[in-house]
Amino acid sequence: MVSKEEIEHIAKLMRIELDDHTVHIDRVQKMIEYFDILDKAGTESEELIVNEQSLENLREDKYEPYNDKLIDKLKHYKEKFIRAPKMV
Amino acid sequence: MNLAISALDYIEAIKDGEFTVEEFVSETFDQIKKIDGKLHAYLSLNEKVLDQAKELDKKRKAKEKIGSCIGMPIAIKDNICVKDTKTTCASKMLEKYTAPFDATVIARLRKQDALFIGKTNLDEFAMGTTTEFSAYGPSKNPWNQEYVPGGSSGGSAVAVSALESVVSLGSDTGGSVRNPASFCSIVGLKPTYGLVSRYGLISYANSIEQIGPMARTVKDTAFLLNIISGIDTNDNTTIDNHDEDYLKDIDSGIDGKKIGVISEMVGKGTDKEVSSATKKALVKFEDLGAKCEEISIDMVDYSVASYYTITSTEAGSNLARYDNIRYGFDFDLEGYEFNSYIAKARRNFGQEVTRRLIIGGFVPSAGHAGKYFLKALKVKSRLTKEINAAFKKVDFLVAPTVPILPFKFGEKLDDPVAMFLIDFNTVTANLTGKPAISVPFEISNGLPIGIQIIADSMQEKSLFQAAYALESTTNLPKVSL
Repeated sequence: MVSKEEIEHIAKLMRIELDDHTVHIDRVQKMIEYFDILDKAGTESEELIVNEQSLENLREDKYEPYNDKLIDKLKHYKEKFIRAPKMV
Repeated sequence: MNLAISALDYIEAIKDGEFTVEEFVSETFDQIKKIDGKLHAYLSLNEKVLDQAKELDKKRKAKEKIGSCIGMPIAIKDNICVKDTKTTCASKMLEKYTAPFDATVIARLRKQDALFIGKTNLDEFAMGTTTEFSAYGPSKNPWNQEYVPGGSSGGSAVAVSALESVVSLGSDTGGSVRNPASFCSIVGLKPTYGLVSRYGLISYANSIEQIGPMARTVKDTAFLLNIISGIDTNDNTTIDNHDEDYLKDIDSGIDGKKIGVISEMVGKGTDKEVSSATKKALVKFEDLGAKCEEISIDMVDYSVASYYTITSTEAGSNLARYDNIRYGFDFDLEGYEFNSYIAKARRNFGQEVTRRLIIGGFVPSAGHAGKYFLKALKVKSRLTKEINAAFKKVDFLVAPTVPILPFKFGEKLDDPVAMFLIDFNTVTANLTGKPAISVPFEISNGLPIGIQIIADSMQEKSLFQAAYALESTTNLPKVSL
């Protein structure tokens, strides 16, 4: 069984503050517990299907100007730069 | 004027001059004003739509060229971008977001002169099966307002069912088009993965989700697919369908076709009314000349766990962009350190999205990926093989769309596993990329039951033929509004 501490640790890494702490953790624990059913599927030897795309099939990598000034839609910006909170 | 008209009949009626686009759109708006206070199908309305309708009437009078929809009203799930229109995903996080571009499906409908009447309600970021997780309150089922309309495309289903639009678009990640279509007694299609461009659909689990048409008839659903399907340079997963006409030969019938009934989807956990409706549907299929046999797909029992593991993981990545720097901004940057700022912004997510993000961080993380994420991918692989093998033996797979009848608000809200199991019959088509349609089949004590038909990849044409054949055997009561 997954411990509450492990869930809290991941939430922190996901930058999620848990308002109503116990309700969320209990429920997440129940949801993850349901996934234990995967142990019974007996698919250990199954190979994964991987979709491969060759580079030629990708859209041409070229610059297309966009007419609208999208940065205007942001609140915090200066000239061409988006403003973010300080890192340290 | 009959608002219950099909899209195809609407187009004929306009051509015959029975009424104008403006008259029809205006009456649709009156209907919305009359009942949407109760049903809450819409999150926002297109206030310019009457002017757009008038414009189309003028063009028609002047004999200018006009697109094939001729002003047919369509409602759009609020996770699909319509240029200069609010697109909230029913989340506080995107409360003020206005899309700067059209999704490909929208551009294609616009070219055919469809009119976007409004944006419809959903579970926040399409995570849910009842619309109860919408940050703006749930939609109500028009058949009985104490009951959920299904989800996540609940608003799109309610709008069509309650004559607040002729047709609508939803998105289907694990049943989100088919489930509300079934609960509201309309038709809903989840196309083959890649048949419809996802460009402009706000991503939740991009490796399995598709935009799907919702309508009151199978023919209207096929008509919509004709418009929105096909290759798109903006979505590299799209497939060339060579402009297939899904309406042509839709009445070919299913004489001689083989139908597999998925045993796992009609067994325990199925309501007895749903079970009995499914049996009746199989009799109808046999009457139509098809041969039905039971077929077991072992991996179906693990599909829901696989589905939630994979979708939560993808949601964890896809929703990482909501950091209040590019989206959001209801508070200032000053006084915050980077991580704490983002963490505070993420409080704007509702409870279900928050939980799925935590799961999405947990199941693929170092130390847990082997037990959860990799196993989920392996189940997906095996399930795909089993389904492909089944389609070597049969033409269609059939099951009830949802194993249970529509239920009351709050009934399953506190039981996450019960919520999971609502998706039991629908996630298989998403995990395997196959097309699946829900067809209204019965009204049991006032509550709708839909039958799901699944076909092999890119077999939408024959899927519509089967759906149309089944639809033709029904004569369902109209919803009383």
